[in-house]
Amino acid sequence: MTNTLAPASARDRGASRAGSGRGPRSRPPGSREGRGGGRGLAYATAGILLSLVFVLPLAWALIQSFEPGSDIAAVPSAKDFGHLTFANYAGLFGHGNSIGHYVLNSFEVALGTALVTAIVALLAGYGFGRFRFRGQGVVFGVILVTLMIPFQAILTPLFLELNQVHLTNSLVGLALFYVTFNLPFGVFIMRNTFLQIPAELEDAAFVDGAGHWVMVTRVLRPLVLPGVATTVLYAFLFSWTEFLGSLTFITSQKSFTLPVELFNLEVGTYGQVNLGYLVAGAVIAMIPCVVLYVSLQRYYVQGLMSGSLKG
Amino acid sequence: MAAKNVTKPGRLGFALTVPSLVLVLALVILPLIYAVYISMTNFPLVGAYHFVGLANYTALAGNSQFLHAILLTVVYTAIVTGPIFVIGYGLAMLTRSNRRGSTVFRTLFFLPYIVGLTVESFIFYVELQPNSGAVNFALKELGLTNGATAWLVHTIPGMTAICLLVIWFGSGLTMVLLLGGMQGIPRELYEAAYIDGASRWRAELRVTLPLLRQSIALSLILSVIGSFLAFNQFQILTQGGPGTSTTPIVLWIYQVAFEQGLIGKATAGAMLLVVVVAIISAGQFLLLRDRDARAS
Repeated sequence: MTNTLAPASARDRGASRAGSGRGPRSRPPGSREGRGGGRGLAYATAGILLSLVFVLPLAWALIQSFEPGSDIAAVPSAKDFGHLTFANYAGLFGHGNSIGHYVLNSFEVALGTALVTAIVALLAGYGFGRFRFRGQGVVFGVILVTLMIPFQAILTPLFLELNQVHLTNSLVGLALFYVTFNLPFGVFIMRNTFLQIPAELEDAAFVDGAGHWVMVTRVLRPLVLPGVATTVLYAFLFSWTEFLGSLTFITSQKSFTLPVELFNLEVGTYGQVNLGYLVAGAVIAMIPCVVLYVSLQRYYVQGLMSGSLKG
Repeated sequence: MAAKNVTKPGRLGFALTVPSLVLVLALVILPLIYAVYISMTNFPLVGAYHFVGLANYTALAGNSQFLHAILLTVVYTAIVTGPIFVIGYGLAMLTRSNRRGSTVFRTLFFLPYIVGLTVESFIFYVELQPNSGAVNFALKELGLTNGATAWLVHTIPGMTAICLLVIWFGSGLTMVLLLGGMQGIPRELYEAAYIDGASRWRAELRVTLPLLRQSIALSLILSVIGSFLAFNQFQILTQGGPGTSTTPIVLWIYQVAFEQGLIGKATAGAMLLVVVVAIISAGQFLLLRDRDARAS
């Protein structure tokens, strides 16, 4: 087996999950320090200060989303914390803005993209990881080449092509576009997942008369699930706030996604700009990312470690 | 998938890859070929068009806005790549030991990358407003400015704000990529180095850095490609202005194609981006293959 791109630590985890132990996990360097209070204090101080740098802007936006727009547009003062309100959220979801509609559009596209990517990548991963067929290398190469071609650079022909088949101004068209550009990563992950599973496991099940469908959905499920989770997570996070494609392919208001709607709020398409609405809208867009990441962090890092990445 | 293992397995294997193959052919390879053709026409958003050969390309060579967009993209990439790498490396050094809190710190440092530039650009748009924005307020409290800086309507302040935003956003990714490499380095190597009397910095320089070459290359490649393809932060924060002074290449393509309707011209410019990014990605490809070969 073993045809994995993951460095030692990720590979160990994957392999032990696949039921075959693999050398001891190498400890990271630097564990030698740690003794000595001075050093520990410096470490804690640096860590906490840096954490503030990386988190404070996001936390600040969360707090500000509860301030009235007039306070946000005025010089900040301590008094602002005295009148926190849900007014921005109420205004955004209320009549006139109906942000819920655009949140739903984005959610549908992101969820659809994640599920379709996972299914299509799972099929291809099984095909590449478990079969030998003529032209296999060429097919795999063609799919992986997508990693080298940025969608930003072929936006114009993509627009004309999707327009021709009436898939612009369509959430389905947008999702298909997202699926395609998430596929190479997903196929790559799924192929490696299948390559890591010992073949004996399947042989036993085949002898028992199981078909391919039963094989993947029942026998291999626990072993395949981490790869699927990684694929779903990446595809969802990518499409949830993707901006350029959405801005280009969607021009009718009813199909706007959340980032495009926020952009309209920012540039004042609907009249005066309300900074309170903008901050609250950004916080709404932020929440699913944070929740998904914190709960599925293991899969996210595993994906990164496999060395390949969305452009 | 009712087909059981009794059928020709090879054919089934290929069939399983067909959905992926079709999507990639239809939405990547076909547009790519189409792009070459479009770039040789005077394709407008609406109306008739005809073949113009290489006229779009020769015209771009003397197009000052196009050249400025390229220059800006290169300068922007040159400015942000170094700090993202250095800060990312520092964060990785800080959190690589399994000391208390290191997992939490890693999670928090990586958070800006997860939330994404689109959302963060909107947040910074608000925080960069003169007088009311948190950035200006903080600078005023520190006595550095009068707090009235209109960051986003001037070229240099606008670029400064965007670069700082992107460094803040991207350092966490470099950290995670380098951590992956660092955890693969056997501990014994350090012990040997320390026994030989090496200092911490020397061990870093002589043990960590050379063994980290691949992770370093990967993080630099991803960082450079990301900068070449920058769009969100520019469109949201400055919209390329004032004038076209902060318009990077992707924003130039977007504006020429979909605001001016000059699809042929925009596509010719985009072909340059395809070539440049493909060459850089080829490095990433080789790296991956290298690792693939070594792991098997």
